[in-house]
Amino acid sequence: MLAIDVKDLRKQFSVQKNREGLGGALKDLFKREYNQITAVKDISFQIPQGEICGYIGENGAGKSTTIKMLTGILVPTAGHLRVNGFIPHKEREKFVRGIGVVFGQRSQLWWDIGVIESFQLLRKVYRVPEADFKQRLDELVERLQLSELLNRPVRKLSLGQRMRCELVASLLHNPSILFLDEPTIGLDIMVKTEIRDFLKKINREQGTTILLTTHDLQDIEALCSRVIMLDDGRIIYDGGLDELKSRWSKGREVHFQFGERPDLTVLRNLTEGLPGVAWSLEELTAAMWLPHAVNVSDALARVVGGGVDIRDIKIIETNTDEIVREIYQSGTASKEATEKLAQSSDSVSKETVHHG
Amino acid sequence: MMFYASLCWEYMKNYAKTRLTYRLDFWIEVLSDLMFQGLNLIFILIVFQHTPSLGGWSEAEVVFVYGFFMVPYGIFGTFFNLWNFSERYIVKGEMDRVLTRPAYNLYQILLENMDPASLFGSVVGAIIMAVSWSTLGLPFEMLDALMLIVFIIGAVLIYAGLYTALTAIAFYSDAPTGILPLMYNIQNYGRYPVNIYNKTIRFLLTWILPFAFVGVIPASYFLDRNEDGLSTLALLTPLVGVVVLSIGLFVWNRGITRYRGAGS
Amino acid sequence: MASAYLDLIRIRFLMMLAYRVNYYSGIAIYAINIGAYYFLWKAIYGTQTELGGFTLAQMTTYVAVSWMARAFYFNNLDREIANEIRDGSVAIQFIRPYSYLMVKLMQGFGEGIFRLLLFMVPGMIIVCLLFPVRLPTDPGVWALYLVMLVLSFLINTQINMLAGLFAFFVENNEGMLRMKRVLVDLFSGVIIPISFFPGWLADTMKWLPFQAITYLPSSVFTGRTAGGEAYRVLGLQVVWFLALLIPIALVWRQARYRLFVQGG
Repeated sequence: MLAIDVKDLRKQFSVQKNREGLGGALKDLFKREYNQITAVKDISFQIPQGEICGYIGENGAGKSTTIKMLTGILVPTAGHLRVNGFIPHKEREKFVRGIGVVFGQRSQLWWDIGVIESFQLLRKVYRVPEADFKQRLDELVERLQLSELLNRPVRKLSLGQRMRCELVASLLHNPSILFLDEPTIGLDIMVKTEIRDFLKKINREQGTTILLTTHDLQDIEALCSRVIMLDDGRIIYDGGLDELKSRWSKGREVHFQFGERPDLTVLRNLTEGLPGVAWSLEELTAAMWLPHAVNVSDALARVVGGGVDIRDIKIIETNTDEIVREIYQSGTASKEATEKLAQSSDSVSKETVHHG
Repeated sequence: MMFYASLCWEYMKNYAKTRLTYRLDFWIEVLSDLMFQGLNLIFILIVFQHTPSLGGWSEAEVVFVYGFFMVPYGIFGTFFNLWNFSERYIVKGEMDRVLTRPAYNLYQILLENMDPASLFGSVVGAIIMAVSWSTLGLPFEMLDALMLIVFIIGAVLIYAGLYTALTAIAFYSDAPTGILPLMYNIQNYGRYPVNIYNKTIRFLLTWILPFAFVGVIPASYFLDRNEDGLSTLALLTPLVGVVVLSIGLFVWNRGITRYRGAGS
Repeated sequence: MASAYLDLIRIRFLMMLAYRVNYYSGIAIYAINIGAYYFLWKAIYGTQTELGGFTLAQMTTYVAVSWMARAFYFNNLDREIANEIRDGSVAIQFIRPYSYLMVKLMQGFGEGIFRLLLFMVPGMIIVCLLFPVRLPTDPGVWALYLVMLVLSFLINTQINMLAGLFAFFVENNEGMLRMKRVLVDLFSGVIIPISFFPGWLADTMKWLPFQAITYLPSSVFTGRTAGGEAYRVLGLQVVWFLALLIPIALVWRQARYRLFVQGG
């Protein structure tokens, strides 16, 4: 069954235009003009149950707006939307009983009262039977090691402690879908890892579908089997993380540290005949760029056997950050972008040939 | 229904817990509440030092209306404390959280902001009413007690409906503070005999912003003052309450669909 | 530096312009307010021609002018300052190269100018058309009143600042701020002219700054206080303005000390 089914979803906001200066402001007082801004532009995607899906994009790409429509907070302007079999904004109160939501930037808990009181209140709100609640709370508390925090008021918790409590709060009613908006923002590495492990476990054991937005691509690498990437309200990539990497990463870079400064032409001659290999040199460090077609060991063998004084070698894989940045820069649909990338690597190789 | 009642109780408990930590604040709040209300009483008392009657109403009668007015207002104030709704729920986006919880959103917001300190106003109002009741030598029958309860409920519904609609303006407009504080002034004119106003203002206070129905109109039933059919009109109080509340909820529910979330 | 302050006035002015629901409803509500008070006073006068030294015509003008003046000098600086102290953002203001209180004053002034031009002027025209308000014919009185209005603003703002800065010393001064608002409205004479007060209270008022905010300047404008007496009122305002600088400076010094030495 599909956990989330979205078809041609659109959200428009009308934003008032502010005319400039005093005269403009006075005019605005009597007649106001509005701009239509489309935050989400007819997107479609489906998420099956039990999947962890990363929803990424730059600020203002439409991530939060989508999440808010999926959770029933915002009413879509157009399109079809089904989450857990419900139309979120129409059957909101019934629908939200089956989902959990964590907004990293804003607390779900009551500021002044002890954490446990917040949980008790949520139990009532979600109508969780006492026995289920107790069992579930014990389990969650044990896993996230919260037992000492339970009686403290939320305002006295650190960000990491608070976030773990938020997670518990969103899971007390055993939702089948969990929405996380920037769940690791501002946390230190230790807490981040802990939260990632926890989410993986929940997903594995309970089959909870998780949709998360994040700026931290390590979250994606650690958690998501699938990535949906948004730019300017449109989906520019939807697929597996591995595919994303293999399709988008252009190749690898090998860094050499030399004992004395070699000649660039010497280095180029060493890799003569390997297509697409490019060199750059700065002081004692040289960078050799390899396209995927070239075997790393082949290239290395040639350089190492070339008689230059090598002190250190480092192989650098392109990471997700760079890939994503690359995709954004290249703009719209993924196919075009791939072509564009292919072209650019062509031109690199031509250049190399020319220099060689 | 049971569910909503038990929620109310839960929130009430939490309110008590937080308030116990700031006990002094609680009493300061009660005091400032009463002072806010007292301003109008002072006005009445000072004015009656200079005149024997106000549009034909004696001091005791006007004070009686004042006392009645405080009772539903205190109850309303207990459950409806949304003066900073726009700031807290729209600008800061706390509405997001409310909307992801399985209970009627307005109800959740009302419970989160509950302010039982206002009930002291009702108590004081009831005392003032009781004292002027005996000063005026009015008879007290079982029917009066029943009507009192009906009118108080009706008046609370009127307040709730009006302020729900006015608060919902935050969904439609960009105004940060809203017009609630200004409205507060207008509501006070419902404490004075409406026959002193001209037609426009009387119509406004009776049918547009029916604040006359939370003060002078129902009170006139007990005072047996039927100028311009006031005490007959009193019987309409519960009906006006239901209508106004329905309008308020309608405006609110429409407003919710226009909610656009906080900035991010 | 001065131009930066001027800019603050301008920005706040433009900000106020941005909220047109507030604007329109504000004018309407002020007009209703003055209207309701007019009829209320008419009923209070009944057949009497003079009360507390005011004729009905003078009282009408007094009410209209006082409410309009209140629109100008009224501001929420007390609450703004208290909020900034409570959420800690005041600490950032300390490291900026300007005076925090001056900034607040300028913001309040921008808001005041907005209300003066776009509220008071149209509001006054409406009120003059609807009710028998008699404005002075002597341009000298107008000029004098304008100067007094600025001083009203300054004195009221000083009181607001003092109340707001109290947040440095108490956990939650929300209740205190509300009480202050009631007292200022009552003692400044907006609600009832001070000449209506019982003797002992009126005498006490002579020793407090509040009457310099509304009662005294409005009395000049309505023509009850004229000639040399009017200049004495202006002098009194200046004296109060200067006198209030002292407690503000003291509280401010104490506040800085608390913030820097004790870490807030």
